[in-house]
Amino acid sequence: MKSGAGRTARILPAVLPPLISVLLAFIVGGLLLILLGYNPLEAYAMLFRGAFGSTNRICEILVKAAPLIILALGISIAFKSQIWNIGGDGQFTIGAIFSVWVALNVGLPPVLLAPLTFLAAFAGGAFWGGIAGLLKSRFNANEVITTLMLNYIAVYILGWLVLGPMMDPAGHGFPQTQLVGEALRMPILIAHTRLHGGIILALIMVVLIYFFWKTTLGFRIELVGKSVKVARYAGINVPRTMVLTMVISGGMAGIAGWCEVFGIHYRLLDHLAAGYGYLAIVVALLADLNPIGIIISAFFFSALMVGGATMERMAGIPFSLVDIIEGLVIIFVISRVIYTRWRGDRA
Amino acid sequence: MTEYAVRMRKITKRFGALIANDHISLDLRWGSIHGLLGENGAGKTTLMNILYGLYHPDQGEIEVDGHPVRIDSPLQAMELDIGMVHQHFMLVRPFTVTENIVLGLPSARRPFLDLKAATRRIEELSAKYQLKIDPSARIWQLSVGEAQRVEILKNIYLDTRILILDEPTTVLTPQEIRELFEIMRLMKADGKSIILITHKLEEILAVTDEISVLRAGKLVGNTPTDRTTRNELTRMMVGRNVLFDFSRKRTRPGRAVLKARRVSALGDKGLPALREVSFEVRKGEILGVAGVAGNGQKELCQVLSGLRPVTSGRVFLGERDFTNRPPKEFIDNQMAYIPEDRQETGLVMEAGLTKNFIIKNFDRRPFSRRGFLNGPAVKKNAGQLIEEFNIKTVSGQARAKELSGGNQQKVVLAREISSKPKILIANQPTHGLDVGATEYVRQCLLDQRGEGVGVLLISADLDEIFQLSDRIAVIFKGEIMDIIDRPDAQLELVGRLMAGSREEGAA
Repeated sequence: MKSGAGRTARILPAVLPPLISVLLAFIVGGLLLILLGYNPLEAYAMLFRGAFGSTNRICEILVKAAPLIILALGISIAFKSQIWNIGGDGQFTIGAIFSVWVALNVGLPPVLLAPLTFLAAFAGGAFWGGIAGLLKSRFNANEVITTLMLNYIAVYILGWLVLGPMMDPAGHGFPQTQLVGEALRMPILIAHTRLHGGIILALIMVVLIYFFWKTTLGFRIELVGKSVKVARYAGINVPRTMVLTMVISGGMAGIAGWCEVFGIHYRLLDHLAAGYGYLAIVVALLADLNPIGIIISAFFFSALMVGGATMERMAGIPFSLVDIIEGLVIIFVISRVIYTRWRGDRA
Repeated sequence: MTEYAVRMRKITKRFGALIANDHISLDLRWGSIHGLLGENGAGKTTLMNILYGLYHPDQGEIEVDGHPVRIDSPLQAMELDIGMVHQHFMLVRPFTVTENIVLGLPSARRPFLDLKAATRRIEELSAKYQLKIDPSARIWQLSVGEAQRVEILKNIYLDTRILILDEPTTVLTPQEIRELFEIMRLMKADGKSIILITHKLEEILAVTDEISVLRAGKLVGNTPTDRTTRNELTRMMVGRNVLFDFSRKRTRPGRAVLKARRVSALGDKGLPALREVSFEVRKGEILGVAGVAGNGQKELCQVLSGLRPVTSGRVFLGERDFTNRPPKEFIDNQMAYIPEDRQETGLVMEAGLTKNFIIKNFDRRPFSRRGFLNGPAVKKNAGQLIEEFNIKTVSGQARAKELSGGNQQKVVLAREISSKPKILIANQPTHGLDVGATEYVRQCLLDQRGEGVGVLLISADLDEIFQLSDRIAVIFKGEIMDIIDRPDAQLELVGRLMAGSREEGAA
């Protein structure tokens, strides 16, 4: 049996670096606030109260965390395989489009239609991620570039759809589709809040990913990430594994899109993804791609966003502070990775 | 000026238990090109890194131009006019040639750079030594050969009088090699001294004045170039000291398990690496492939295991044609393969042993159960292999990179042999291992032969080839020169074939 002390000794080295990264980000952010003539302690107190000041706000945090967790899990799969999927936004968007199209156009009873929308979302994201995977494996096209470009294509497709073929005819010209049927929507967990079942879905996904890494497919993806050369030698079809990795990673992003549409908006809107895909990268990196870590770091960034919005309204401190802290967290996380790699090289 | 540019006396350098340089002495004359010949791991680069101040010798003295010196850093080496061009270029890719050359040098117009004057001088020197370098070109725009000439130009610019070139030709095309030699001759005519590190015989014979041969950390010969032959050099390089005696049970080889029929393939640079290679490996025999490293051995193994496409010819496992089939099918048909680079190809250095043991069969029972890895079975497998192959490790969780070279090779060996192969390809299986591990690996190969496995042993070590093989094939420039039965094989003949000559008695 593992002793409690032994477990602490293992967890601490894993938890400490991200905590320090966050702390440093807040300290540097505080210095910036002083330079701009704000009281940093006051600002941070406002940020905290803004995030946790009421049930409603805590619920908002969870609402934001749900798609972030699912997206970050998807991204962690690609990153573990050393495939830099920057296309969370695009895959999220296409997943949402597929699922809403199915919801609005397929005539089936809700019991069958609801799971079908879910599958459509996965398929949409998987399709979009798969394109980048295919381009990488076939033509050695850099996935950072392709996924980024596919993001723009997805956003413009969405913009065209909600202003064109899929626009709500009774919507007074708003760039949005009709609402999906009420029976298809995710249940609200706490009355008078927007907290929907998405957070539970996200937690289920965490469990699934945990088991995913124990499958032979997970092992294969990990092996390709560790060394393409060894993987080829071990008889693994590396190109096919890369495509599959992007299909799964994109599919997860699609599910995040489903979660956002069927949990909150109930329809497609212009600019639906709103940068979630990029934030999810930070979430995944801060968590060092660990599923449990992803829950915590998604919660942290969601709280930052909710608190930042309140802080701006109440204290007049610009929301950009939140962006700055996000940026600083990235810098510190990456600095640490580079530092350890540098030390590893010298050792 | 004295007669000698550099005299190294009884240089000894140890890395842990390994003696990389064992009392090596070397004299470099002014205005001469000195070849330092030896196989990979013979200690050539270590010796030169000592001269360049990157390593400090445990014993021995160095004299430069008659003065005893202590060289603790490359900076001190540069002050003594010693320069070195490494295998991996030390150039800043986004910078221009001029910027790279003046990098770190004092400028006449301090604190500003004097790029104009530098450019003019670089142009002059480039013309003088026929380097054909445009000073304003950026490094990333240059070919490998041009980048190398920039490194040489940098040394000329610094007034280097003693230049060390570490395997400069491995990255060059034949045309570029000829140009490099021309540059070296021009430098020699200028009174400079050059040490050329290489394991290629023709090059050393073409351009040097004097040759020193290293083998396993020891100086085994020193001779003026015009008084030696390829055969003699080959013999010195690969040596002939029987380390161990193995009792070889007589076996009767069975049917062919692996056949190559007029196989040709291209190397990484798109040039022909294998030319119409034909042979067969039979059940219960060891076919040894002798050859100096870099003559197509790696490509041969890759072709035979599905990792490199065949441009013409056929590969058979048993009677079935496997030409250009994916690696997975070779593995599934009981081919085991010990690659030449265990740290790059054979093992995931960052992963634990437990995982490294199953990289080829994780998707088969008992390791895979309904798509999931069977944790207990995987762990049990690791425990068994660690015990059976006597692998020195703290646990199965230890990462491969934490093991010694010998134990890393045992991990590869354990994985490959435990797959119960019918065919075993071993490429340089004892390269870089100490005596004990070498003996262990060789015994393993013999045991496999005894159990009826068809073994293809590729080695640049003639001792190994002669000790283990039932038949010996010799590869030279991607061609099989001949295949000889072990009892008929004489060292001289094999050495001659390794050096590329087929005629009886030819030098």
